[in-house]
Amino acid sequence: MREIKRRTYSVCPVCLKRIPAIHAAYGKTVYLEKTCPQHGDFAAVIWRGLRDLETWRGNLPEIEEGENENCPRACGLCPEHRQGTCCVLLEVTKRCNLNCAFCFAGGGSGEDIPFATLRKHLHDLAEPGKTLVQLSGGEPTVRDDLPRIVAAAKEAGCQYVQLNTNGVRLAEDREYVRNLATAGLSFVFMQFDGTSDRIYRTLRGRELFAVKKRAIENCGLYNLGVTLVPTIVPGVNTDNIGGIIRFAVKHSPAVRGVHFQPVSYFGRFPFLPSDSRRFTLDELLAAIEDQAGELVSRDSLHPSRCDHPLCGFHGDYLVMQDHTLYPLHKGESSCCQTVTAVQNRNFVARRWRRPKAEEAASGKQEESGADNDIETLEGFLRRIRSHSFTITAMAFQDAGNLDLERLRSCSLHVYSDGRFVPFCAYYLTKQA
Amino acid sequence: MSDKERRWKCGKCSQELVQQKVVFNYLGHTFSHDLPACPDCGQVFISKELAEGRIAELEEELEDK
Repeated sequence: MREIKRRTYSVCPVCLKRIPAIHAAYGKTVYLEKTCPQHGDFAAVIWRGLRDLETWRGNLPEIEEGENENCPRACGLCPEHRQGTCCVLLEVTKRCNLNCAFCFAGGGSGEDIPFATLRKHLHDLAEPGKTLVQLSGGEPTVRDDLPRIVAAAKEAGCQYVQLNTNGVRLAEDREYVRNLATAGLSFVFMQFDGTSDRIYRTLRGRELFAVKKRAIENCGLYNLGVTLVPTIVPGVNTDNIGGIIRFAVKHSPAVRGVHFQPVSYFGRFPFLPSDSRRFTLDELLAAIEDQAGELVSRDSLHPSRCDHPLCGFHGDYLVMQDHTLYPLHKGESSCCQTVTAVQNRNFVARRWRRPKAEEAASGKQEESGADNDIETLEGFLRRIRSHSFTITAMAFQDAGNLDLERLRSCSLHVYSDGRFVPFCAYYLTKQA
Repeated sequence: MSDKERRWKCGKCSQELVQQKVVFNYLGHTFSHDLPACPDCGQVFISKELAEGRIAELEEELEDK
């Protein structure tokens, strides 16, 4: 039996016009359903019923009639957007040194953005002492002048500079890593789809597991924290989720966490998605519990309170000497209380960044066993500085499942032509 | 004179506070810390320095984002 659970707005996947949509439940499974007057009916699964959707979402209001009427056509942020900028993404090139089956940016060939243009963008986008900028692409490390761009971001006043990368050059060129660290790079988000080369051959076209390990090692040498970013694709690596978490924990404190991204269909993707090719947020939660339950307890993962709860989750931990995870936040989390983008930015940056040399000195004590004690206030704070670890997820939206109630709460924005555009609006791709 | 060097007395018992290992609970976590405490009633003194330093840091880390 079909039950209408919620009313919202989406876009037609063919013409991208804004149209009404509903959440329709068939038993426990929930679909986003919509009809374009010109192109017909569309549906995409959004929740498999493995957790209670209402509880997870909390009591957020629906989009009322007359609200967000220009969304997403007129994105840049408008006065009706409900969240500030937590992280701002700046593309520095269209070029890439891989040719992946999936790529949100559709990168590969094209031009680098001239350095002078980037420097101007950085000055325009930075709020001195506050901004977290993600240098992205394409693959940013194809640029020899990336350290100079990092330095320009710091000079513009960005508090944190994050590099989004496939890690290939970081593995091959240690001097380049050193230069990035010296220029002021804060941390690295590295594409990391699994712990076997079969996965990399399928998704990235070549064997990369050894490359990823070398990149982590090189970043470790220069105290650059690495967060692993797997794209989760049904039939490819959904059975490796526990393996990825175990690998990450084992490589703490160089690895700061795992940021899962269930596949979404924008940019470049190999086929139009059927429901079996989608991996919903609750499927990811269940897979973590099934495959890494010995490390991650169910009640330690909480819905996003900065972005919309259906866009992501987070869990915060300490890595103990025996490679277990000690959860910092357990139990019911209130998802009706929104967290500001500023709070969120400071929180995640503290976790993803490795402590500076003077703070890291306590890490040496850890090796002798002195710092595994988290029962004293001093010991706990030392451990949290050196060995914090996050499990986070971001479920990007595509033209099939775009929900404007979610989009209006987005805090990850792409800087383009002087505007801050919510990520999923920027990369929205027609599915003809 | 810092809070550490000062000699404090308990407001209730007039006993001079002595340094003790104190166990406390915060947001579901239990910690111990050496603090001046009354040997009679157990009341503890948390200095401004501690409150604005370590405890503020703890609060920042443990408040859920």
